[in-house]
Amino acid sequence: MDKDSALMRLLRTPRGAISAVVLGVIVIAAVLAPVIAPYGYAIQNLRLANMEPSAAHWLGTDEFGRDLLSRIIHGARTSLAVGVTSITISMVCGMALGAAAGYFGGAFDRAVTVVVDLSWSFPEILLALILIAILGPGLASTMIAISVAYLAQFTRLTRAQVMALKSETYIEATIAMGAGSGHVLFRHLLPNAITPVIVAGMLATGDAIILEATLGFFGLGAQPPTPSWGAMMSSGTAQIFIAPWIIIFPGLAIAITVIAINLFGDALIDALDIRKRLREN
Amino acid sequence: MTTPLVSMHGLSRAFVSSKGMFGESRTMRAVDDVTLGLPAGKVTGVVGESGCGKSTLARLALRLIEATSGSVSFDGVELGGLGPAEMRQIRRRMQMVFQDPYSSLDPRYTIADSLLEPFAIQGLMPVGATRKERVAELLDMVGLAQSTASNFPHQLSGGQRQRVGIARALALKPQFVVLDEPTASLDVSIQAQIIELLERFQQQFGLTYLFISHDLSLVRYFCNQIVVMYLGRIVEVMAAPDARPQHPYSRALLESTFAPDPAKRRIVQPLGGEIPSPFALPPGCAFAARCANVSERCRRERPALADTDAGGRVACHHPNR
Amino acid sequence: MALLSVSDISVSIGRLTPLDRIAFSIDPGEIVGVVGESGSGKSLTAMAVMGLLPLIGGKISGGSVHFAEFELTTLTEARYRALRGRRVALISQNPMTSLDPVRRVGEQIDQVSMMHLGLGKVEARARSVEMMQQLRIPEAKIVHGNYPHQLSGGMKQRIVIAMALVANPELIIADEPTTALDVTIQAQIIQIMTEMARARNVALMLITHDMGVVAQACDRVVVLYAGRVAEMNTVDAIFADPKHPYTKSLIGCIPVEGLPPGGLKGIAGNVPGVLNYPKGCRFHPRCTRAIARCGDEVPLLRASGAGTVACHLAEVSA
Repeated sequence: MDKDSALMRLLRTPRGAISAVVLGVIVIAAVLAPVIAPYGYAIQNLRLANMEPSAAHWLGTDEFGRDLLSRIIHGARTSLAVGVTSITISMVCGMALGAAAGYFGGAFDRAVTVVVDLSWSFPEILLALILIAILGPGLASTMIAISVAYLAQFTRLTRAQVMALKSETYIEATIAMGAGSGHVLFRHLLPNAITPVIVAGMLATGDAIILEATLGFFGLGAQPPTPSWGAMMSSGTAQIFIAPWIIIFPGLAIAITVIAINLFGDALIDALDIRKRLREN
Repeated sequence: MTTPLVSMHGLSRAFVSSKGMFGESRTMRAVDDVTLGLPAGKVTGVVGESGCGKSTLARLALRLIEATSGSVSFDGVELGGLGPAEMRQIRRRMQMVFQDPYSSLDPRYTIADSLLEPFAIQGLMPVGATRKERVAELLDMVGLAQSTASNFPHQLSGGQRQRVGIARALALKPQFVVLDEPTASLDVSIQAQIIELLERFQQQFGLTYLFISHDLSLVRYFCNQIVVMYLGRIVEVMAAPDARPQHPYSRALLESTFAPDPAKRRIVQPLGGEIPSPFALPPGCAFAARCANVSERCRRERPALADTDAGGRVACHHPNR
Repeated sequence: MALLSVSDISVSIGRLTPLDRIAFSIDPGEIVGVVGESGSGKSLTAMAVMGLLPLIGGKISGGSVHFAEFELTTLTEARYRALRGRRVALISQNPMTSLDPVRRVGEQIDQVSMMHLGLGKVEARARSVEMMQQLRIPEAKIVHGNYPHQLSGGMKQRIVIAMALVANPELIIADEPTTALDVTIQAQIIQIMTEMARARNVALMLITHDMGVVAQACDRVVVLYAGRVAEMNTVDAIFADPKHPYTKSLIGCIPVEGLPPGGLKGIAGNVPGVLNYPKGCRFHPRCTRAIARCGDEVPLLRASGAGTVACHLAEVSA
């Protein structure tokens, strides 16, 4: 009941409605990329290299004559897939670690806290770079790197939520009824702790897309010819003076996607009224 | 006196507070050497002011927290020796109603969900139509409308939530219920409603209650046996609700309770001194610093709980007989 | 001549009217209890008298409040400020939030007399210590230099009372001053407050939900229910012969010595919220003696013996 009304409240604000529509368009474009992209993302035509935007190629072509619009639409697949998958993995692991640490406490909690605090003091990009250096470049290692980079955030948030909820009387009431740890954790603590974690995950997805683009820009992410916005921008740097659209349009795609995700996440925070719970972390 | 359903023997619980990484850790005995029997089918009241250990005692009685030393037995079974599965079994027969009705229900559970939870936990979940019937019976029992079943806690008033809390505690037909200040956060008119309800169930089901309260007049009304606690220890047990208190602290509590009758106005003799820190209890009687009848012996030697002529027990070197 | 006279004030917050024609008065040296359950409008009444309604977006939408030579409803904020603390003082429910945690408690008392009585630092300090001694604060000189966190709840509430009394106000409004305290401490604080009010001829408006405290401390009682006055009378009359069924029920909710088992009777239902005040007498849905008229017609406050009562039944029997 509360969920539905929160979503309605979200969509009634201009910020929420606009960001939801933009996100919807991006997601649909990514899912239906092979259908709606006017050209294949890997079709090269060197005679058409570095063409400026035209009726045939709305956003122009790149240095190999590939259609930029098609590559951006396909690139949305890569960006969203990497962002969503890695954050989901990160969130699930973070919640498991954080909930276990917060609920059971003791030595395990102290160990988790130390590791989390340590990794918290490194920027995400640095952690990701270190991991890719170990794992080697590629799409899979990008996802693993991003998951690990954000793990601390979700562990910390879940742990804080669980610690706060643990002292609620209904937890004690459940124990007094004879419930074991599993019941308490899965029926009470996690359902009540999950909302802020999901919203944090939503916001982190925006960051993860930037991180993926950054890694792609350095050539550490998805390998050619798989289109990735970061890699596209990177290849555009060479043409920046003769064909600036090659770097501008992927950049815009990143900016619009990330802004939309952040606005949506922010509107969600207000609609669910959990700003305070997130800040306590 | 009837045989006790619950017996506590030498029950103690210490909490250790460490002052950061380099500070010394200090120990506080929240409950200290409590020996007490709760007669079956009777109401035992525990009164005392904040920090006297009455809520800790309530939790020890149900083994919601572990005792540092001493034992609790329920119907002849020592709780401390039970494994998780046996403990779960026995929890069907002992339940608790909590002080704060606002946080004792999961905000994401409907009232029906909350009422069915004890069945679910104990693996006794009714199936099909009986499930609805059970909820309906429970709501009816505590005087709530049937439509309440689909409500969430935030849609109910404090009094209504406390009724749900009571229904949930009684769902599995326990023999023993701990009531931890069940009316402390409610208005007097609602408090009286809840007490009426608890009284009725006690009669109807022959329940044994452990009633925790800071309100001596309420305890004297509601309970058969009264236990007065001060700084973790029992200072007096009164065998009858109208017994004359013999411990100076019990008397001070009684004199601090104002009757709703202007003819009974009194000049309050203030208790002198401050409550000692529970981390650094004096060697003798914990009440010595505030007591008007204090003697040298009180400061030196802790008085033991001794039987009184009136059938109670009192821990005082100079009881007021 | 009454020191404070509240005449038919109504309070509105937005479109809601949580207080409806509240009227009562307090004489110098008199202790008047304002009782009712939560949601009855006790604290709002205090805020209305203190001119603090704008803080919660409310205003007095009708009636008048006379205090000494002032009409408070039309007083400018600047002149109000000169009254507050000096001639009218407030003691709030929670001593923890009434004191500044980072300043010594003594300085906080000193400040009141420096600001309102124009005393110098040394005189203010001497006055504070004397005040603290009168409130039976042991080792007042030492406590003067303590911070709030070093003191117990009861001691903090005594500091708050000292702050209220130090500028010699004529009226003190105490809003549930002992609710957060243990019973033995509550008894002491009530004792001290009544003694001080009597000794200094200060009018005390004591807001409480505790009928025991009312019986112990007050001269007269105003019973509020759902934003209206239900009954008003001397404390003896209220307890000996309550005219309003609500007053009677409220007294019946307190367990007294010798009450037989099952003798405690609650009041069915809940206090209605401001959004769903019932028609007619607001108590009628919970009243065991309600008649048809109670649901239609608002009972007016009428004289009954020494007091006043707003009940159709009282009218019939009178």
